[in-house]
Amino acid sequence: MNDMSQMMADVPARSNSLFDVAVRHRAVLASLFLLIFPLIMPFKALAANILIYGLYALGFNLLFGFLGLLSFGHAALFGTGAYFCGIAIVHFGLPWYVAILIGTLGGAGMAAIIGALAIRTRGIYFAMVTMALAQCVYYLFYQAESWTGGENGLRGINVHVIDIFGLKFDFLDPLTRYYVIAAFVILALFALSRILASPFGAVIEAVRENEARARASGYNVLLTRLLTFILSGAFCGLAGALAALHLSIVPIEMLHYETSGMVVMMALLGGMGTFFGPFIGAAVFMLLENLVSLWTVHWQLIVGAVFVACVLFFPAGIWGTILRKIRP
Amino acid sequence: MKTTSSKFITRRRLLTTVGTGAVLAASPFRINVVRADEPTIKVGFPTPLTGPYGTEAQDQVRAAQVAIAEFNDAGGLNGRKAELLVRDSKLNPGEAATRTLELIEKDKVNFVVGSLSASVQLAVNNITKERKIIFNSISQSDEINEAKDFSRYTFHEALNPHLTAGAVGRYVFPKFGKKVAFLTADYAYGHQMVRGFQEAGKAFGIQTVIDVRHPLGTSDFSTLLPRIQALKPDVLCISNFGRDQQISLKQATDFGLKKSMKIVAPILLYTGRLAAGAQAFDGVIGGTSYYWGIEDKVASAKVFNDRFRKMNDGKVPSDYGAMGYTGVKVVLEGAKAAGSLDPEKVIPAIEALKYDYYKGPEYYRKCDHQAVQSVLIIESKSKPEKGPADVFNVIATDEPSEKNLRTCAELGFKS
Repeated sequence: MNDMSQMMADVPARSNSLFDVAVRHRAVLASLFLLIFPLIMPFKALAANILIYGLYALGFNLLFGFLGLLSFGHAALFGTGAYFCGIAIVHFGLPWYVAILIGTLGGAGMAAIIGALAIRTRGIYFAMVTMALAQCVYYLFYQAESWTGGENGLRGINVHVIDIFGLKFDFLDPLTRYYVIAAFVILALFALSRILASPFGAVIEAVRENEARARASGYNVLLTRLLTFILSGAFCGLAGALAALHLSIVPIEMLHYETSGMVVMMALLGGMGTFFGPFIGAAVFMLLENLVSLWTVHWQLIVGAVFVACVLFFPAGIWGTILRKIRP
Repeated sequence: MKTTSSKFITRRRLLTTVGTGAVLAASPFRINVVRADEPTIKVGFPTPLTGPYGTEAQDQVRAAQVAIAEFNDAGGLNGRKAELLVRDSKLNPGEAATRTLELIEKDKVNFVVGSLSASVQLAVNNITKERKIIFNSISQSDEINEAKDFSRYTFHEALNPHLTAGAVGRYVFPKFGKKVAFLTADYAYGHQMVRGFQEAGKAFGIQTVIDVRHPLGTSDFSTLLPRIQALKPDVLCISNFGRDQQISLKQATDFGLKKSMKIVAPILLYTGRLAAGAQAFDGVIGGTSYYWGIEDKVASAKVFNDRFRKMNDGKVPSDYGAMGYTGVKVVLEGAKAAGSLDPEKVIPAIEALKYDYYKGPEYYRKCDHQAVQSVLIIESKSKPEKGPADVFNVIATDEPSEKNLRTCAELGFKS
């Protein structure tokens, strides 16, 4: 796991083997894949969902895979992003781009609050504290019924036209909607790639590998953790905001702890600590769920069996295993 | 079929072909294969096949298939047949919204009918109204009638909490007394039911002695029930749903609450009663949109039940299930009356319908498209007399009247 993620995060000495070129241009390659992705999916709304949950898993993986902290409360960041974006549009009538910004900042802000309270704990305690705080956030939004719609969820996030630089796009058209969402996800991919390749990215991994040594080398471990948590929150908040725009509703289920558990599953399935793994995890997870549930009402049984098989045979995740195989 | 020794068809090739064919034939994708020259009329049906309401949802699908079969047997719309596209909403609004997008964008459905649970129907409604697709909701909610969520593409075939609780209250309060206690599931559904009871009770001067709220999915009511017992109310209204209802009724029976007060539930579920057994529900009074037993008096119920029995090995439809039937039938009959699938023509046609499909006369109120219909007041039998499905007595019928609904002005509509 360790050498592999390092391989993905650090840019090794320039060599011209195909694999190294691919690693250097991982964000470009990932973006190209996202552009053709809707054409191979059964339907566009699912492709957009995979995109959104892929970004959510990507944000989660920054914390889990690269910093090595297992959070069980990421639904709070995802959900806050969605609710903030939705509330900005429904209650304040703000334009869509401001709403997305507010959603992203909302996710980061919530991460700052949860992070400040939880960051001192480690391992299982960190998981429990984040989960408990996420439940507090759940009930906060649940009870604020006049703002969030409570149990019924927030409705009416109705954006019909995306206007940018004088261009107008029909947001109700499924393919256009996908590409608008993809544009933001691609931006996020480049940002993440940049963060991981920066010196700060190296510090993140140093903290994961050996905390005492990182501290001895003069790095502020607590601050690194908090910053990473906030960055992770921003990615998840952006994913939430895009989800709100895509489905035009924010269900309270987005804040539920099941949503936190799901992202752990996605990251593990795809390969924690890899750049693109979480996306693969999200895609496999959601495709399985959608296709199998068309076929039988006992879909959970089959999906569960596939997960067990994945954990047994691909302990490094699907993408992680593939990377190992093709690495020269 | 016999394997030939021809060079062109090897055994392996034959097996592959037959195998692929069999898989294709058995897979749900065959629905997408167009059978006739003219495209079929597609009715999308998102419903929570998995999850706690799975039993109701599967019954909804069975009943909806009855409506589709009836429509096709009668020749369809100028020969165009209808088909039902069922999707599992998993009782999750996000999943329901995604599935509805799939139905509209990929499958190009003409109508959407279905949903169970308030939040899911509101999610589906938000998607359909944005895309100008007619949606007929068959699950209870007060919000869907309100101007904020309503659109002219929204129809609501189900009862709503205000109507149901009101009907039960009007029957119960004059008969059993004015001191009323509430045991309520702490979410929108429960709150709306309590509000419905209290508003109906104003006319009878009821007095609320206590309103105990419990979280969803409570399994132990033993701390709550003695508190209610000590206050000696005449009536106890238990406003919860599904498993919560079964457990709370069971424990209320065990605590002997039934000896000193009348237990009332806004909705008594047919499937819930079957699951929990006769003893727990014995003597409990509640409301329902439909009970198969009215077939002795209502001719349309008899016709519907017989068709349902014929298609489902003699089973009778449940209350929520039956709404799957009317929900689909209404939009198809609307299309027939309009002679078109264009929503702008079908909407006035549905608004003009005066129909009696399964429970007596109904029609849609103009301002909020709420189905104005009767509410049956039922009492659970101490034991079934005529077969295991014979579980309720219909003791009264709250006749259809717009007076029992909130006024259009209350809902936020400007006249």
